[in-house]
Amino acid sequence: MQFDDKVPIYYQIKNYLYHRIVAGDLQPGEKLPAVRQLAVDLTVNVNTVQRALSEMIHEEILVSKRGRGNFVTEEPAKIAALKQRLITAYIQELYTQLHALKLSDRDIVTEIQHYIQTRGDQA
Amino acid sequence: MISNALEVTDLSYRKNQKTILTDVNLQISPGKIVGLLGENGAGKTTLMRLIASVAKGERGTIAVNQATRGVERRALVSFSESLQGFRGNDKLSQIRDFYATVYPDFSAKKYLDLITFLQIDDDQKLATLSKGTREKFIIALTLSREAAVYLLDEPFSGIDSMSRKRIISSIIKWKQADATMIISDHYVTEIAALLDEVVIVKDHTICTHKSSDQIRSEFGLGIEAFYESVYGGDIHDDEL
Repeated sequence: MQFDDKVPIYYQIKNYLYHRIVAGDLQPGEKLPAVRQLAVDLTVNVNTVQRALSEMIHEEILVSKRGRGNFVTEEPAKIAALKQRLITAYIQELYTQLHALKLSDRDIVTEIQHYIQTRGDQA
Repeated sequence: MISNALEVTDLSYRKNQKTILTDVNLQISPGKIVGLLGENGAGKTTLMRLIASVAKGERGTIAVNQATRGVERRALVSFSESLQGFRGNDKLSQIRDFYATVYPDFSAKKYLDLITFLQIDDDQKLATLSKGTREKFIIALTLSREAAVYLLDEPFSGIDSMSRKRIISSIIKWKQADATMIISDHYVTEIAALLDEVVIVKDHTICTHKSSDQIRSEFGLGIEAFYESVYGGDIHDDEL
């Protein structure tokens, strides 16, 4: 994984794990690799991985089981809420950009529809 | 309150009537990986040699886990030495034996794991090593000790990227959680993601000491860009 050096690394690790959980690469109840293994895989500091995981445990996206490691939550509602949070963040970013180009709400919807319909031709 | 792994207070050092370091103050808590950045000749290596008590004659105090005497510090600090005291004819396994004899905290198991991971054959003679293998061997020896503080002096200079990646991975794999590590370099991009904190040495002293996240969130800069801004004068002392 390639990190953006201008953004705190723990933040990017959280995002990376959010995506894997929402996309289902990490299933509900699945055990995460050990902290040190994750650090080696991502080529980052163990402390940084620990910080990312601690925050995700606090957010109840991950569950820490004493002596057994960290697991993805088994509660579908938590994962659904996370997914909604990511979707909203992306749409907000897109909306802000298009709005700055003085597109009306109607134009924005039309542009997105148009993009989806013609996407196949551009690929 | 956990005491600092390293505490340097009002440190100054002169050699041949020349100021090498002046008014150095530094506190590092246990478990951190710290980048020590600065141009060649800024005093990075000297600072490391003084902490490790390889160089002596400083003014001020240096405490490692609160121990200030040289002999105590040498027992607590594992410093990546350049192996200049060994002959080209020495086999790497003989150098390992020397380390195992001199340092009671030398772990034969860690050494074996490290040379396996770093792909070093220790039946070779020192003189036959490429620059990259030599650097990897120095890292293996340094990390094989169960030290409180590790000092790696420019472990990545002039070596190929595969060796560099292996060295970085071995640091992540084998540094104990409570051990502190200081890595000096003047090119930081490849280790930026590894660093908890950054210390910049300039004009014979420490001009700034910040956490990596602070640099990223307060200045909106990457570590390399921050370092260049400090050296280039784009960030002034009063902004630090």
